Amino acid sequence: MPDAGSPASSGARAASGWRIGVDIGGTFTDLVAVDPYGTIHVFKVPSVPADPAEGVLDALARAAPAVGLGVSDLLRSSALVAHGSTIATNTLLEKKGARVGCLTTDGFRDSLEIRRGIRENPWEHRVPYPPVLVPRYLRRPVAGRIDADGSELAPLALGDVADAARRFRDEGVEAVAICLFNSFLDPEHEQKAADELARLWGGEWITLSSRLAPIMGEYERSSTAVMNAYVAPRTVGYLRGLNERLAALGLKRPILLIQNNGGAVSVEQVAERPVTLLLSGPAAGVGALGYYARAIGSEDLISMEIGGTSCDVILMAGGKVAFTDQLEIDRYHVVIPSVEVHTIGAGGGTIAGVDAAGLLFVGPGGAGAVPGPACYGRGGSAPTITDAQLVLGRLKPETYAGGAIRIDAALAERAVDEVVAKPLKLSREAAAAGMIRLMEQKLLHAVQRISIERGHDPRRFTLVACGGAGPLHGAEVGRRLGCRRVYVPRLSGAFCALGMLHADVRHDYVRVWLDRLDGADVAGMSTIFAELKQQATATLAREGFTGAETRLTRALDLRYIGQQWDITVPIAADSHDPRAIRRAFEAEHDRLFGHTQPDGTIEITKLRVTGIGALAPLGLPKPARATGAPQPIERRRVWLDDRTGWAETPVYDGARLAPDHAIDGPAVINEATMTVLIGTGDRLDVDAAGNFMITLRPERPL
Amino acid sequence: MSLDPVTLALVQNRLDHVARQMGWVMIRTSRSPIFNQSHDFSCFVTDANGTLVSQADGIPIHTGGGGFAVRALLKAFAGRIGRDDAFLLNDPYVAGGNHLPDWVIARPVFARGSLFGFCCNRAHQSDIGGGAAGTYNPTATEIFHEGIRLPPLKLVEGGTTRDDLWQLLMINTRCPDLLDGDLRAMLGSTRIGAEQVAELVEDLGPEQASRYFEGILDHGDRRLRAILADLPDGTYRAEEKFDNDCFDPADIRIKVMLTIAGDRLKVDFTGTGGQIKGFKNSSLANTYSAVYAAIASFFDTDVPRNEGTFRAVEIVAPEGSLVNAKPPAPLTMCTVFPAHEIMHCCWWALGQANPRRNCAGWGKNTFPVTAGTAPDGRTWVMYNWGGNSGAGAVHGRDGFNQMGPMITLGGLVIPNAETYEQLYPVRVHRHELRGDAAGAGKWRGGTGVDYDVEVKSPAEHSFRGEGMSRPTGIGVEGGSDGLAATVTVATQGGESRTPPPYGIWRIGPSRLRISSPAGGGYGDPLERAPEQVLRDVRDELVSAHLAREIYGVVVAADGRSIDAAATEAARRALRQSREQSARTAPAGARVPAGVPA
Repeated sequence: MPDAGSPASSGARAASGWRIGVDIGGTFTDLVAVDPYGTIHVFKVPSVPADPAEGVLDALARAAPAVGLGVSDLLRSSALVAHGSTIATNTLLEKKGARVGCLTTDGFRDSLEIRRGIRENPWEHRVPYPPVLVPRYLRRPVAGRIDADGSELAPLALGDVADAARRFRDEGVEAVAICLFNSFLDPEHEQKAADELARLWGGEWITLSSRLAPIMGEYERSSTAVMNAYVAPRTVGYLRGLNERLAALGLKRPILLIQNNGGAVSVEQVAERPVTLLLSGPAAGVGALGYYARAIGSEDLISMEIGGTSCDVILMAGGKVAFTDQLEIDRYHVVIPSVEVHTIGAGGGTIAGVDAAGLLFVGPGGAGAVPGPACYGRGGSAPTITDAQLVLGRLKPETYAGGAIRIDAALAERAVDEVVAKPLKLSREAAAAGMIRLMEQKLLHAVQRISIERGHDPRRFTLVACGGAGPLHGAEVGRRLGCRRVYVPRLSGAFCALGMLHADVRHDYVRVWLDRLDGADVAGMSTIFAELKQQATATLAREGFTGAETRLTRALDLRYIGQQWDITVPIAADSHDPRAIRRAFEAEHDRLFGHTQPDGTIEITKLRVTGIGALAPLGLPKPARATGAPQPIERRRVWLDDRTGWAETPVYDGARLAPDHAIDGPAVINEATMTVLIGTGDRLDVDAAGNFMITLRPERPL
Repeated sequence: MSLDPVTLALVQNRLDHVARQMGWVMIRTSRSPIFNQSHDFSCFVTDANGTLVSQADGIPIHTGGGGFAVRALLKAFAGRIGRDDAFLLNDPYVAGGNHLPDWVIARPVFARGSLFGFCCNRAHQSDIGGGAAGTYNPTATEIFHEGIRLPPLKLVEGGTTRDDLWQLLMINTRCPDLLDGDLRAMLGSTRIGAEQVAELVEDLGPEQASRYFEGILDHGDRRLRAILADLPDGTYRAEEKFDNDCFDPADIRIKVMLTIAGDRLKVDFTGTGGQIKGFKNSSLANTYSAVYAAIASFFDTDVPRNEGTFRAVEIVAPEGSLVNAKPPAPLTMCTVFPAHEIMHCCWWALGQANPRRNCAGWGKNTFPVTAGTAPDGRTWVMYNWGGNSGAGAVHGRDGFNQMGPMITLGGLVIPNAETYEQLYPVRVHRHELRGDAAGAGKWRGGTGVDYDVEVKSPAEHSFRGEGMSRPTGIGVEGGSDGLAATVTVATQGGESRTPPPYGIWRIGPSRLRISSPAGGGYGDPLERAPEQVLRDVRDELVSAHLAREIYGVVVAADGRSIDAAATEAARRALRQSREQSARTAPAGARVPAGVPA
């Protein structure tokens, strides 16, 4: 089947057919290459943390010959190279960002450090804040003031900017964030300060909070701007370097990056706002959900991607994912439109234990890469979820993770016995099964949280279980949620890398606008909308998207007066119908919150425009159909659940399963980078794209 | 018969999940910033006897106090509690309330036809009438001056909200639109909670479920007893004080005698002053909550905070004293003061048993609540949270420079000044850290802030300033005290005046300036890492002068590095002069708090 992106269907932009997605993780760099016929090739090479571009080039060097091409040929014939970069995230996590200076309005020098007093768990009062990214002596006050109505109360004191510039030079500041009070109402002071600073300081990286995140709230705006300045030099430097190296090797089109909003963007577009890459990895899951939605035949999906240490949950309803402006990354606050990804500390390496008063717990701590689960034999003595799975026969005590790790069942048994079974006076199996149940309860709660907060009933959804550890838990968590179906992509481990290839280019624009819905200044709003649309259109055009390839949408952020949270309500183009908008707002409010306030005053808080540049959708693969019934490669004892206990369970080799194959549970399916478990009464069908659809036996256990 | 340990953990997590879900619904559905921005509420689940089993979502000063409310309504409505009823109450004297502004909605959970427990929230309302807008009336001398009193009321009967009661509530507030929205949020949140708990009970069967609820309480009990058993037996005393009764200077002591005997803890307030004229008296529910919050925050955060945990704790609060007032004493301030004092006393007494976990004092808040009338006739009420205090240090971290009130352990988030300028007729001129204010120590206290706000229209300032006349962020284990607050108010063209600690000023456009009290330090300042002192000097939080005099750290002439030799000499000299004065001064001249009395 020709790929939808072939010349016949989508014109010159995708003339040469190949698409490449690269996802740099902490340990491995994943590369997914899709040929012009829709066949997917996956490669995994070790990451090179010191020079991540090396990892990308290694992956290409490995991929090209495997598909019968030279690296240059492959790049030359690539319509799209998408990159999910963890470089911004790692810059933050490793505290390797720039030395940042900050210009603030006189009187508000400390908003960044006071950080509104926010601590996630007030009871944890003995834990200090993470270090402030700009020390106070580099946060320089500038006199001048924009008033609350946007007028100028006092002119900007350029002399203060000059003093700051001098200090920044003396102190070796590499990037500056400008965060002036009320700049969301009028950016003029920030622009003037930026011009003056550019003239006197001489550094390259200046972030204006009013351009980056023109939102109300000096703390969040400053925190966002500072984070941007902090990650910019290293992140953008790397991306530009990579882009140049690939161009030199033959790549014709600039690489695309996946942003927090799940959309793609070019390096030059993101150069001013690399903070939008902080969530790049998990946000790419949105593209993957969109891709699998067609195979599943439903746009109501919840993905649960479980790796070694954490689980990322994304909810897609009616083809749309939930968005949030509030991100917390490594305990820093960033306000940028982002896919709502709910992350919890629950993965294969999550540790179980018993507290001082005899209560079993699982997590949130994990064994990490070192020492890892006890069964890895690298000195870990704490039992992890992986150890429990091994004890229960769901993983095989040989090699694991594509042969990279050799696992030892005796070590897992000892850890479970010593730490959980003996203190609780449980059998080894009951202890391991208890660990898994607690883990699955956590996963359940994580999925429930994102659905409840968004006002959705998870039972309507198909759960997509992915990541290395997801398919072991998918069926059970889906059952507890009340879902009917669980989908397991065969490329579960390369979920995000693949997702990148299915993303559209996306730019979000937002402007604060404080007004009442009824009697709003419609002309004023139209002017702003026109400006934002103009920006969106121009940016998309620079990236090669015009006419039918572009889509612009408008939305209002609305709330009842006094409420703290806004609801984003899409509105029709070029009209302002307060009654229709009120109806849409109330419908959404009712769904989210269970009530409305008839005749309640509705405020407008923000105007939004989103510009989409549509990439041709990625075709689904069509592997050859099955010719006979599936045959298990072995039968082994597996602990299925508390009621069944141990049962001889057939084990299938995933590589030998093809479309039309169906397996009745219980069963275990071994794939190169994951294991699927289905329970008694469940049924697994291999769909036309070669992925696994599990239909669940209905039941709602505790 | 013993319980299955795995099921026990599952039930505990699921109840906590229910309590949190109620909180998410509250935040997203409520109207007033005090709920959805300041998170001044708690959600909890009790058993059929009103024993609090889970309060996974809640501000510290509500810890464990919810049980009092449910027990009061059980007494009032025994035999008349129906499946689709919901109850409302607030009164601290007859309804197990902590103070009048915190309203409790309690929804019964029924399983197979019988009452199984309650899902509740306790939330601070924007306005409940009374003598001052915004629930705090510092001129109150009786509870009748503080707002509407609600005994346990059946607000929803058989699924139908009682309109007559609803109207009664709405005409007793200055902010009916907020109250209306917030009460609906509370009702919606508890309904979702009750459905979830009923489902859990259905899954387990009511008898099993009861046993697991009991098992959760037993686990909390065992957990705290194990901790107490590890502490040295003994009697530890600490005291705090008020220097006013809200009207006149006064010397009012809060005294705690804490006895650890084996795995039991007794907290005895005997010797504490009698109830006072002003509204800083505490209800029993509040005193218990403050003690529980202090204990829970002193030990590991994963100790459960249900009523089982506190079975090992005996509290003696003499009737008619400041910590167990009799009607009609006013007491709206109690969740802040004397809760702050009670927590300090408990921390410092426990700190004698375990000095490494001792906690320096948090500065006591001094900022007023400001209210006025908008052009459309609505009342606006603005909490000047921007004037919050600095927190105390503990071993391993400096005090947070500015933090929400101690009784929330900082859970109340400080608003953005930009947001306030859009919500209220104000212009914020300054919100910055205070220099040379933090209590010194190996870990220094929080700095506090300079907060300067211009109120552009006539307004009523309701003062509640405890931290003005003397330091309140008391240092421990050799750390020193943070500076006291200063507060001034100037009318347009008028001069700045210092307001009384408590009282109401109704004045024209004005300028309010607060230097908030700083937190206390922990440990000897001479042991503070010189690099940290240098950083504070560079940050202009500690002057070079004080760096030398208090920390014995000498900053080099370039202002960017440490003069190591001079620092060593200065520290040696400071230690010597200390030893000298210790020899000459009378014993006990300056006993830092936290040292056994």
